[in-house]
Parts: sequence; C-alpha cells; structure tokens
Amino acid sequence: MNFLTKNPPIVMNSQRTYKRTFTLHFVLIIVAVAAIILEVLTVVPNDATYTALDQTFKVFLMLVTGVFVSLIIEFLYSLSNGTKKRFNAYKGYVDPINTGLLIALLLPTITPIYVLVLAVIVGVFVGKILFGGYGKYIFNPVLVGVLFVNLVFSSQLVVTNTPLMLLKKALNEGTFQINNLTELIIGNYDSLAIGTTSLALLMFAFAYLCITKVVDLRISGTFLLTVLVMSFGIGYINFYVAGDMSEVVGYTLINMITGFTVFAAVFLISETVSSPTSRETKMIYAVVVAASMMTIRTLGIQTDGIVIAILFGNMITPLINRIFKRSNTKTFVKTSLFLVLTIAIVTFSLGYIL
Amino acid sequence: MITEYRTFLSPKKIYLPLTDNDSKIANLSVKEGDRVLVGQVVSYKFNGKTKTPVLSTVSGTVVGFEEKTDRYSKIVKHIVIENDLLNESIESINYKVKEAQNQLRNYPKNVTTYKNNITAAQVRNQLANLGIDKVSVDGLYTDISFSGEIKHVVLNAVFTNEPFISTDYELIIHNAEDIVDGICLLGLAGDTTSLTVIVDRFMPAEALEELGKATVDRDIELVTIDVKKATAWDYKVIKKLVKKDLNINLLEDGVVYTSIQTALMVHNAIRKGLPIVKRQVAITGDGLKINAVYDVRVGTLFSDLVNDLEGYYDIDYMNLHIGSFLTGIQLDSDDFAITQTIDSINVSEYRKVEEDVCIKCGDCNDICPAGILPQNIMNAELKNLNSRIIELDTHLCVECGLCTYACPSEINVMKWVRRAKRRIK
Repeated sequence: MNFLTKNPPIVMNSQRTYKRTFTLHFVLIIVAVAAIILEVLTVVPNDATYTALDQTFKVFLMLVTGVFVSLIIEFLYSLSNGTKKRFNAYKGYVDPINTGLLIALLLPTITPIYVLVLAVIVGVFVGKILFGGYGKYIFNPVLVGVLFVNLVFSSQLVVTNTPLMLLKKALNEGTFQINNLTELIIGNYDSLAIGTTSLALLMFAFAYLCITKVVDLRISGTFLLTVLVMSFGIGYINFYVAGDMSEVVGYTLINMITGFTVFAAVFLISETVSSPTSRETKMIYAVVVAASMMTIRTLGIQTDGIVIAILFGNMITPLINRIFKRSNTKTFVKTSLFLVLTIAIVTFSLGYIL
Repeated sequence: MITEYRTFLSPKKIYLPLTDNDSKIANLSVKEGDRVLVGQVVSYKFNGKTKTPVLSTVSGTVVGFEEKTDRYSKIVKHIVIENDLLNESIESINYKVKEAQNQLRNYPKNVTTYKNNITAAQVRNQLANLGIDKVSVDGLYTDISFSGEIKHVVLNAVFTNEPFISTDYELIIHNAEDIVDGICLLGLAGDTTSLTVIVDRFMPAEALEELGKATVDRDIELVTIDVKKATAWDYKVIKKLVKKDLNINLLEDGVVYTSIQTALMVHNAIRKGLPIVKRQVAITGDGLKINAVYDVRVGTLFSDLVNDLEGYYDIDYMNLHIGSFLTGIQLDSDDFAITQTIDSINVSEYRKVEEDVCIKCGDCNDICPAGILPQNIMNAELKNLNSRIIELDTHLCVECGLCTYACPSEINVMKWVRRAKRRIK
C-alpha cells in the first residue's frame, strides 16, 4: 500500500481567509443598501433642482458602476495572465466587488460618473494590479483611487456644510453649535461620502466584524481611542483658552462620529494586506494614522484627512515591520509607553498651535 | 474515533532499526543464526557521545538483516528476529521499593526517601542499560538524558501528542502510583526537586483524583491548563519555570520534558527491570476500518497491525502520518516497524489543500509561543534575505506548528520557517 506525502493532514483552526472576505462582503452590501435607503430619507432643500428619488438613483448607479468597472478590470487582467478560472466560483468575484463598493461609498453623491469610473480604474489598476493583485499591494487600492480623484477632480467633488467643516469654521470664528445628535447617529446630514453617514449601522458592523475577526481590534480600537483622546485634548486646550468649557464634548463627538472616522475604523484602516503584521506594529500604525488624521483635520486645508493619513500609514508599514523583531511582553510594554507619550506630545502641540 | 483496546504481542517476526536519526553508527553484538532472549542487547547505536543499546523484544533466532524505511522516512538497516513465542527473558536487575516504605504513606520528601533505596547513578545506569533514552519525540519532548545539569522535570499528562491526540486516561487511572513513582525516579536521576505535571482542567475526575492521591505527599506540582485553546501550553508552563526563551532542545535549558507514558516505562525499568518490549500506540483515521488503542510489541510491522484491523477502506489517495498532527512525519509506505518512539499513527484520506495568498493578517505572529514573527520570517525566506532571517531571531523557533494551525490562508508557515532555520544553521 502506498501513500501520498504531498501535504500533511495538518489540522487547522476554523479561521479562513475566504470566510473573512465573505463576511466583509456581506457587511459592505448591507452598508451599501443602507446608503441608498438613507438618500430617500434625506430632506432636500426647497430651492434644489433635484428630488430625493433622483439622489437615490444616483447613489444606486454609483455603487453599481463601481462594482462593474472593478470587475471588468480584474477580469481583463485575469485573461492576460491566465488566471481566468478563478472567476468560475463566486469566491473570485468577492474581492473585486468589495473594492468597487468601497470606492463608490467613499465618494460624495454629487460625483460625476466619469470621475467614479476613473477612481475605480486608478484604484484597481494602479493600486492593486500593478503590484500583483490581491495580497501583494502596499497601498490600500481603495484609497489610491479616492485620493487620485480628490486631487485631480477636487472642483467636481465640493461638498459644503458637513459637520466637520462647520466645526472648523466655528473654531476659527469662535462660535459653534452642535447639530441634533439623533440626526447625527441615524445619518441624516450632509456628508463627505455616501457610505459614511449612519453611525448606528457602522457601529453595528464594527461589532460584528470584530467578533468574526475580520477587523483587528488592536488596529481599529487603538485608532478610535487615539482619536477620542486627541480630539478631547485638542478641544479641551482650545476651549480652556477661550474660557467656555461647555462645548468640549460636542467637539469630541463631532470628530468621533462624523466624517470618515468610524467608516475608516471599520473598513479601511484594518485592511490586512496593507497594514503591519504584529501586535506592536499594529498599534503603532493605528496611532500614526490617528495622529496624522488629527493633524490634517486641525491644521490642513482638507476637512477629513483620513485618506492621506491611512496612505501615509501604509507607506511607513514596511519600515515599522522592519524595526520590530520580536513580539513579547517586553516589546509590548515599551511600545505602549512610547505610544502614550507620542499621543500626549502630539495632542499638546496641536492644541497649542491651533 | 477509537472504539476499542487491542493487543498484538506475538508477531512472527520483529524488525528493529539499528540506527535512528540521531545515532547513525551501529555496532552489532549478534550474528545471523544466533538465539536471542527478551531484553538481550543485539546492537549498540552511537551518536558521537553516547551509546544506546538496541534490545530484542522477543525471544527467537536472528534470521537476517534487511533495509527498510524507518519511522523517520529514512532507509536504514533492520535486524530481523524470528519469534519462537517462548518469551524467555534474560535476568535483569531491579530495585524494588521496600515494602515497609510503600505502606507508610507519610514519609518525608520524595528524593530523600528514594535516595535511601536507590542512588541517582543506579537509576541512570539502569535507564541507559535498558535503552530508555528516546520515548516521546514529537514537539518539545526531550530525550531522557542526564548528561547535562537538570533543573526541572516536566511531564505532560494531557497529550500523547501536543495538541489534539490526548492521553489515554485509563492508563492514568490504573497506574497513577507507578506513574508518580516514575516521575520521582526521573527527578532523582536528574538530582532535582522541581517536578511538574501538566494536567487538563477537563480531565475525567477519576483520573485527576488518582493523580492527586498519588502525588499528595511528594512535592510534585500539578499545573492545570485549559486545552480548549491550542496555544502551546507546555511551552508557556516550561517558560515560567526556566524564566527565559527556550531552546528547541529543552535539555540545554536543564529541562527533561516527556509524557506520562515515559514515566510508566521508567517505573517498569527500575522497579521491575523491564525494557520497553511493548508500547501503547493509538491507531486512528478514516482510512482504517477499525480504530484502536494497541498494546503492541516493539518491532512489529505496521502492515501486520493493519491486517489485524481488517485492512483499509477502498480509498484512492491516502496519507499515513506518524505522531503529532502539527509536527509529525509522513510516510509513503506502511511497511515499517513500530519503535518505542511511535505513540500514534493516523491513516486518512488525502485532502487537497489549496493555499490562498498570505493576507498578512498576523495571526501566526500572535500565536507564536516563542514570541518571534513567523510571517516576517516567511517573507524574508521567500526573498532569500539571510541577514533579515538572522535578525528576526529565527533560531528561537521550537517548530511547534501553531503558525500553520492558525493560518487562515492554509499556508504551511512552519515549512518556510523551518527552511529559514536550516538556511542559517
């Protein structure tokens, strides 16, 4: 009797890569559907030339276009390098669909369709395929596409009156009024992108993805915590100088729950391929992203710096991966102390500069 | 699933490998046509430092020498002995526990008591003479060697093979006293009082109770673990004792680490003068018609056992795996002899594993008990970066296989880390 010795019957645990991508896929589709439904509920200004239904159709069209363009590019690429058979099962479609959906969700409702198509082409082709496809890229392809159109077509993507913009204006002019909190949580406000609105849904998705281990709590949790501490610190210093402490909480809340903060924590920052690999490096990465984001938000021209912040984090990922050689208690304690110090210094500097 | 206990103690012929993967030089003591008895030395094997006897496990005639695949998948020379079924054995020395001491439960600390009856040198000599040096070989288990300084003796009462193949608890229930005696003897031989037994929280209460009763006055520490999570418990327990990163060979850290089956063998060797003529082997897998725990004579061919188990199912492609599922060895034929180092054999249908790309999730980095970064090492190995492999402390890998276990992309991470280790050796 002869036996095969090719691969051993190694017992593996129940975690699987495809299960994780499927879970993410499932959650993304729910978020996309919710984004469409939210557009129906949005109150349209009286003088507007469009109706709520027009907006809903636009959002639907954007999501579908994003998915199709992404799929077509991946399919053409698979024809060119002979990996066409991966499209035989639905498994092969999941990752392209996820990328397309995410790019569409990160753009505002007013985006012209050709801009969206360009965003997907740049994201999938330049961001993903040029590096060798899924698992090989160093920058998050979604953000590459979004950054590209944000830089090149910035005049077509102007959104006004998002809570963060109001906040920035208020900090400069000294008056600031917090919006209706319930409206903020449901997601009924002008936002920078179609997918970033409903806080309740995103938090639910966050919890679910954390339980299923798709999202690494050490990245997303550290990120959210850092943003919380930093925005509170910056708010505290500024309102302390101004003498009116009542709006610190409002400042922190707006920073936390609007904009891309939660959306990034759920879908972007803990994207495994472009983020670091060990416990300590993941925490450093999260803090670096949070600190860059807060710097851009408080000092930069952009209202929401998350895209550039995460791409910056991706950029330094190989470096932090190289610095760390071990992952044990000693390095963990050292890293944590270092990070607490960094957060404190950045918060105070930003607070005083502002 | 294991459904029954079986014995197979009278094979027609036995095959004993003359060398193994450490000791490569053999020196024969018998020739073809000689009659040998149970426990008689037929050959010595050398590894450069020590010589270990190869003992006959049956009485009968040496009928020749044959080249065969051994349990490490290497082709080595085997001595073939025809069994005359008389089971005559040579006279052996034994060191019985004095009756009075055995009855008196509340004697003082273990080591002094044993020293009154037998010395460390006697235990070491007896173990060396009876060839008890290698019993458990998978994972972190060490040889039974006392050439260096021994500070701790650790025994695993949970797994035959860490993880997944658990100990036969009937063995503990029926032999708890003897097992604990074996542990104390190991402590005496190593001149140490730090004796630790790893037990499972979810062990049958009876087994735990028997072990507790036997260890009560003897300064043996029982460490409870929770086996529901595979996280290299043995590594963590030993690391706590040693208080530094472990070597792949624990003997260098002054630790003898073995399973309780070994303790029972040590007891039998010292108190009864018995060499390892038979051993318990768990034979499992969906490829076999019957799964069983066997009491089998060392030297029996595995194919004989398969015949006794009514053969294989009619499956086209099968795997034959010896030892732990994470670190064991694959063989391409069932024509090999059972040795004292085999504790479990699995024959199952071949399942093709399609590896996905590495998504750099870092699950392997999190689970690694040695605190090194398998993903980064694999990356460096794939890019042939020697200096990076050294920088990442690859030599600390103990080859437990948990990185492969944790990988969601089903990549055999350990294979790459092993290759990296070999590269910088």
